[in-house]
Amino acid sequence: MAERPGLLTRWNQARRADGLALRRALPDRLLPLLVAAMAVLAALALAGATGAQILSTRWSNGAASMLTIQVPDPETPTTTAGTTTHLTRSDAVLAALADSPGASRVHRLDKAELGALLAPWLGQDHDFALTLPAIIELHMAAGTQTDATALARRLAAIAPGTLVERNAEWGERLGRLADSLHSCALLAVAIVAGIAVVLIAATTRAGLAARRLPIELIHAMGATDGYIAGRFARRTALLAFIGGLAGSVLALPILVLLSRVAAPFAAAAPAPAPAADWTMPAHMLLATLPTPLAATLLALAPAAALIGWLTTQATVRAWLRNLP
Amino acid sequence: MIRLRDVGFRYDAAGTSAPVALRQISFEVPQGGFRWLLGPSGAGKSSLLRLLALTARPTSGTLEILGSSVAQARRAALARLRRRIGVVHQDFRLLPDLPVFDNIALPLRLQHRPEDDVRDEVHSILDWVGLGSRATARPPQLSGGEQQRVAIARAVIHRPALLLADEPTNALDEYQANRLMDLFRDLSGLGTTILVATHNDALIRRYPAHELELAQGRLLRDG
Repeated sequence: MAERPGLLTRWNQARRADGLALRRALPDRLLPLLVAAMAVLAALALAGATGAQILSTRWSNGAASMLTIQVPDPETPTTTAGTTTHLTRSDAVLAALADSPGASRVHRLDKAELGALLAPWLGQDHDFALTLPAIIELHMAAGTQTDATALARRLAAIAPGTLVERNAEWGERLGRLADSLHSCALLAVAIVAGIAVVLIAATTRAGLAARRLPIELIHAMGATDGYIAGRFARRTALLAFIGGLAGSVLALPILVLLSRVAAPFAAAAPAPAPAADWTMPAHMLLATLPTPLAATLLALAPAAALIGWLTTQATVRAWLRNLP
Repeated sequence: MIRLRDVGFRYDAAGTSAPVALRQISFEVPQGGFRWLLGPSGAGKSSLLRLLALTARPTSGTLEILGSSVAQARRAALARLRRRIGVVHQDFRLLPDLPVFDNIALPLRLQHRPEDDVRDEVHSILDWVGLGSRATARPPQLSGGEQQRVAIARAVIHRPALLLADEPTNALDEYQANRLMDLFRDLSGLGTTILVATHNDALIRRYPAHELELAQGRLLRDG
């Protein structure tokens, strides 16, 4: 019996003429085109999933861990048991907050910050005629549970009329929304992958039908199921890889644009990306995307090839079961 | 060797509508044995050759090919067995897209033989069948006789342990037919088991050998 040749030799032998004529069985136009279209859809869905994930993290861990305290008449001295003290209402509240368990940072917005906050309604002029309440941000350490109602009662006792707004409530709602969007995006990716499987299986079956005679002949000569399936699977994987690569390149500018639009909502997201310039080459444009999105985009072509390879292997092996 | 015990075969194995092609066929052929397979059209010769070539499975009985029981063999084992079988089909079954050279090289390439060996072996047998100058031609460019010689070359190039031929001389002239029979005799002497289905009485008279005669799917004579 002949000695079993090495992997490279076997690969080269597989490329030689064995009558399967895979270039005709699986033409190099339609499949890459369809896979490219699906890769664009998958890239958009993955962008949605990544964006939702970033927003979910941001809203759950960022704004959600902060409480906003509003102290009216901040400069008025406080009174204790009917006696006026030397502390203003805002200072008294700040002092009380500094002792709060789990507080990581207490910050009173200064005049400029208040002005920036109110600018959309009151313009850029920061000389307000009305006395504004003091706005204090209370940042809690990660994982700290805060009883906002109890805190509001405690602060109202020190400075009556003080309001505590629990951002976490909104943060949790937004986080849940972002999680839902994330799940929907992943579902969309799964649907696109499912369609890809169906499409590749149908294309492979058409190729098998077109090359039935040579397949039956080399099967009768002793070609194993693995050999025939491997020949088809390598061809499909190559075409799917080309389609996936083309789709990724097509999707890149759209994703850069989307990430630009979404940037303000994910300001606290990890790895801030450099600004995109449309004259940049593709690999530099890729670097402007958030790292998770760039990684998923890079993984699209290999994933398409893997789906193509696995689907074709399964389809051809199932088809060959009809032969003895 | 090959051994059949009460082998039956029906094309529509799942149902009962198809006619029975073979009934209770039993015979043995030892290693290196030569058998003529005789009988009128529709007697079951081609069906029997299909079973022996492992391109169909018996619907009843037991079949042993080259020492392996077909019913119990796994798919990979059947593929290995098929690589030890050569078949000359009545309709040649050449691949029209491939040049003559690649058609003949197929069995060697499926055995992962080195390409240098493949080249030497194919050119050698092309010279033997008188088609040394037609290596790059495609089957549709060949005459019927030339196509049959390509089919014969493809069937024997890997020195099969079992050679099955269905009317292998019907497109050959007498000289070529005699050369082919001389080759079969030589291969048989080297240990190849050979079954040849034919209607060519003159050939049978020139090369007398053990005969298996079929009629209506039954084995009438084994001797």
